[in-house]
Amino acid sequence: MIDIAGLIAENIIYLLLITLGGVLISVSVHFVPVGGAPAAMAQACGIGTGTVQLAAGAGLTGLVTAGAMMGVTDNILLVLASGTVGAMIMITVTMIVANWVYFYGVGCPAASAKVKYDPITKDRQDLYISQGTEGHALTTVSFISGAIGAGFGGMGGGLVYYALLKIGEVAAGLTVKDIMSTTGHELVGLASIFAVGIFFMNAVIPSYNIGGTIEGFHDPKFKRWPRAALTSLVVTFLCAILAVVTLGGM
Amino acid sequence: MSAGGSGEAHAAIPENQLIAFGIIGGLVGIYAAFFLSNVAGGVFSFMGALGAICATIWGADAVRRVASYGLGTGVPSIGMLALGMGVVAAMFGLAVGEGIGLDIAGPVIALVVASIIGLVIGIFSNKVLKMNIPVMEQTMTEIAASGTILIIGLSVAMTGTFVFDVVLDNVITTGYIAVIFIAGGMALLHPFNANLGPDEKQDRTLYSALEKGAIAMVIAGIVALSAQNASAGMVTILVGIFIWYFGFMGFYSRVKRDAYKVVGTGLLPSEEELE
Repeated sequence: MIDIAGLIAENIIYLLLITLGGVLISVSVHFVPVGGAPAAMAQACGIGTGTVQLAAGAGLTGLVTAGAMMGVTDNILLVLASGTVGAMIMITVTMIVANWVYFYGVGCPAASAKVKYDPITKDRQDLYISQGTEGHALTTVSFISGAIGAGFGGMGGGLVYYALLKIGEVAAGLTVKDIMSTTGHELVGLASIFAVGIFFMNAVIPSYNIGGTIEGFHDPKFKRWPRAALTSLVVTFLCAILAVVTLGGM
Repeated sequence: MSAGGSGEAHAAIPENQLIAFGIIGGLVGIYAAFFLSNVAGGVFSFMGALGAICATIWGADAVRRVASYGLGTGVPSIGMLALGMGVVAAMFGLAVGEGIGLDIAGPVIALVVASIIGLVIGIFSNKVLKMNIPVMEQTMTEIAASGTILIIGLSVAMTGTFVFDVVLDNVITTGYIAVIFIAGGMALLHPFNANLGPDEKQDRTLYSALEKGAIAMVIAGIVALSAQNASAGMVTILVGIFIWYFGFMGFYSRVKRDAYKVVGTGLLPSEEELE
């Protein structure tokens, strides 16, 4: 028989860390300049694909880089830093290549229709917008916003993964470092698929909140983030309880 | 017909029948594979994949009902959400089933837990995220539950059982769970995503779901070749190929029925013909 209340009391700190990680992922998506299908046709500002694909691409890279660091050290700060940097590299590479395609392939300048002046460079935007579009390519503010967002996402993903492994650590009697450096340890698979599941849920919730597209922190839709954060808080907390019972009860 | 954003989807098959088909068919498939696992060297593990296909058809119909209101973002997001909820609930259900010493309760616990998570996300989507889709709560519950049955069904097809330790060793640690995640998610999200538009018809979408579920079944069979034995794997693959053929021909005949005209384009013109 599993002592559910005992497991939760024992792992309360990791329960909260998983929840925090989920909320971080949820908030991070609001920073990422997601353009969706219109941006793929250079008719809206942002990267031309959906929120889930972008969040998954950047966030899962964060999970991998965080996991790689866990095999070397037990220090949570280094693990989180590794996850953050991994996700940021992934999204900045995506954005710079997308901009090359927009500039040299499609042949349009970077411009946003949501603001008149870029909040960072103060460059005029409205003069450069092609008629009938909402803007195109990634402006400086979107680029910086995207990098910040991916950083939060990678940190959140790393936090969830680390906390999940820490729960299993007690049950397995090994440290996270030892678990990660053992080839084919069953905890790694279970914790990573839980982390992926929690990650996808928290990537989809904010994408429903922003209605599929956003340009970054200067977009008016960005103000809606508390709604997604609240939803993710409740949903991730539920999942965290399930994770504690599953991993802790092994 | 049902286009994204056009409101309620019209259905020839009532949703209650599909819900019953998904839950009963899914659980019967999973339990039949489990109880027959010792018969004839585990060849009946393909029943688990049949259960997964029942859940796929149900889940694809639920995706169709909710996505026809227009989600604001692409249909693929809901498939990933379904499998995200499903994988957490499925692992919890199987682990708790083993933890309380009652393995056979695992799939039912997973189904109940998935429904709760789905309901919570559905309520929050409408009340907090203000998506204002009338069927959101119900369909989210259905999607989470069908995703869970899909994951457990394909795991059973791969290993022949849903005992958590076996699934952990043969499906999760080996990484095949990622295959289930993407192949299963694709089976849920792709049918409506591929068929949506003003001429969308329920039977065409559901035949597409059957065909996608069969592809996942064939993949589960390939895994079963190594996870179980050659005979169990081959039976799953052959049954999967047969269902795929049936599903694809059913889908293609409905494409021909709904299209204004289907014509062959012939081969690409040669250089001389273009000049």
